[in-house]
Amino acid sequence: MAKKCGLIAKFDSPADIMNAARKVREAGFKQWDVVTPFPVHGLDPAMGLKRSLVPRFTIIGGITGITTGMLMIAFTGASDLDLGILSEGYKLIVGGKPFFSPHFAFPVAYELTILFSAFASIIGMFILNKLPMHYHPVLKYDDIAQGTDDKFFLCIEKDDPQFDLEKTRAFIQGLKPTDISELED
Amino acid sequence: MSAEAMQHDASIPNPKKWLLIGATGLLISMVGFFVDTRMAAFSYLIGLLFITSISVGMLFLVLIHHIMDASWSVVVRRQAENFLSAMPYLGILFIPVFLLTYLSGNQGVLWIWMDPTEPLHGHGTVGEDILWVKKQWWLTESFFWIRALIAFGTWILFARAFRKHSIAQDADGSPSHTFASRKLAAGGLFAVALTWTMAGFDWIMSLEYHWFSTMFGVWFFTNAMRAALAVLILASIFLVSKGPLKGIFNNKHLHDLATLSFAFTVFWGYISFSQYFLIWNANIPEETFWYNLREQGLWWEVSMLLIFGHFLFPFLYLLQFPLKVNHKSMIFIAIWILTMQLVDIFFNVLPSLKDSHGEPVQLFSSPVNLIWYAAGIVGAGGVLLWAYWTSYRKNRIIPIRDPRIVESLNHNF
Repeated sequence: MAKKCGLIAKFDSPADIMNAARKVREAGFKQWDVVTPFPVHGLDPAMGLKRSLVPRFTIIGGITGITTGMLMIAFTGASDLDLGILSEGYKLIVGGKPFFSPHFAFPVAYELTILFSAFASIIGMFILNKLPMHYHPVLKYDDIAQGTDDKFFLCIEKDDPQFDLEKTRAFIQGLKPTDISELED
Repeated sequence: MSAEAMQHDASIPNPKKWLLIGATGLLISMVGFFVDTRMAAFSYLIGLLFITSISVGMLFLVLIHHIMDASWSVVVRRQAENFLSAMPYLGILFIPVFLLTYLSGNQGVLWIWMDPTEPLHGHGTVGEDILWVKKQWWLTESFFWIRALIAFGTWILFARAFRKHSIAQDADGSPSHTFASRKLAAGGLFAVALTWTMAGFDWIMSLEYHWFSTMFGVWFFTNAMRAALAVLILASIFLVSKGPLKGIFNNKHLHDLATLSFAFTVFWGYISFSQYFLIWNANIPEETFWYNLREQGLWWEVSMLLIFGHFLFPFLYLLQFPLKVNHKSMIFIAIWILTMQLVDIFFNVLPSLKDSHGEPVQLFSSPVNLIWYAAGIVGAGGVLLWAYWTSYRKNRIIPIRDPRIVESLNHNF
């Protein structure tokens, strides 16, 4: 039943993995990733990774938050809507202030902006990282624990349109890894 | 130091030229003191506050750099230190304010509480005003000038100490200067924060001595930081474009300065809104009149300009990553923030000057005023840039033997 999930190659130094990542990107592979024990500076551009899309989620969350806060205070303070609970809304004059003013809605709107931005960022990060992911084929690879210690791994998935077991293996061999294995699903 | 003669090529401005420009500004201000004493005095004060806020903001940046043992900011620290060299001269520029009070024939020329016989519009004089009598222990002339002396003294001493250590380290390379600076910064943060708050209370808030706001010192601090960061960004980009900092000051340094600018933009919005909100919500005439005065005439447009121009626009602008790593877009927003900071100082200072009907003076009440405004800013500004370029020529472009200089040079995306 075991089907091939891809190829994984082991490298000894950050310089090697950087070089390998650059070559893999230049060869035009799309479905591939790198495992390193620590953040390697310059690896993102070498892999051709673009800037994260998380800020887009954050700004949407922020705009939603400030709108919600303003509308909530306007609704509770100045609305005539009959929801069947309060027959004439809940209009009260407090401290001689108007029923609605952005001034006093602002602290609430501001807090909700922060709260919703934070939620949106976290949710966006989960979505973009395809989390939660309880299992990944690389976990079946015996040496992967070294990827949290002193070794660097590069794995090309078989879903990649360019993936061809023999050709890709030959290509990776050209990158001079210390080890190369097939991953099973 | 002849070895670095190459960094002083002809493209770097001549400091003497700036001294000349500054002197011209001061001379015009001086003429103004005879033509329209109060307006010229207020313009002079505004110019001095604007330029001093840049310089003290630089001091805050250096203090924060040392206390945090920061590495990324080592390459930009020298430019901040160059600006610190202006501190004693700014102290000297404060002397005319003192002289004006006693030689202009009107002791209340700037701070009306200094003259107890000054009539208050509609009711009695300052001397009969219970609010002044109650605050008199703080608002007495001798104490006021002593506080000014303490404030400038503190800034000058700390500025000199940090410059001395940093420049000595260029020669001997001893890390002891870094440790000494860190210790200085621990006490300095308290001393400078306290004196800067005091300066804001004394020089701006007491112009309208009925009014008070506990947020005021923080507002003044935020503006100083924003102005200093804007000037530091401009100076660094200028030095990159002319060559000396090329390949040293990279986009990550720029991005970090821009991010700090963004943080203080948010902080300014937070502080300014909180001050307004508390006063609006409490609705006590003793406090609200200050904002009421600033809703009259053109001051209403100015306050709207501050909300949208000093907060919202820079906020949305600096949210965007691509704009923070681009020289041209950062030059634009740095100049924008600096201009808005000036508008903010105008907004806080000038309406305290009343016309014969007790109404706040309008920004463009007379076209001649523009001359005094410009003279005040150019006068102090010329002195600041003269001191900066003089210090720039004498010292190395970066603290080359700082223990963290390599980390700072390698700081990149």
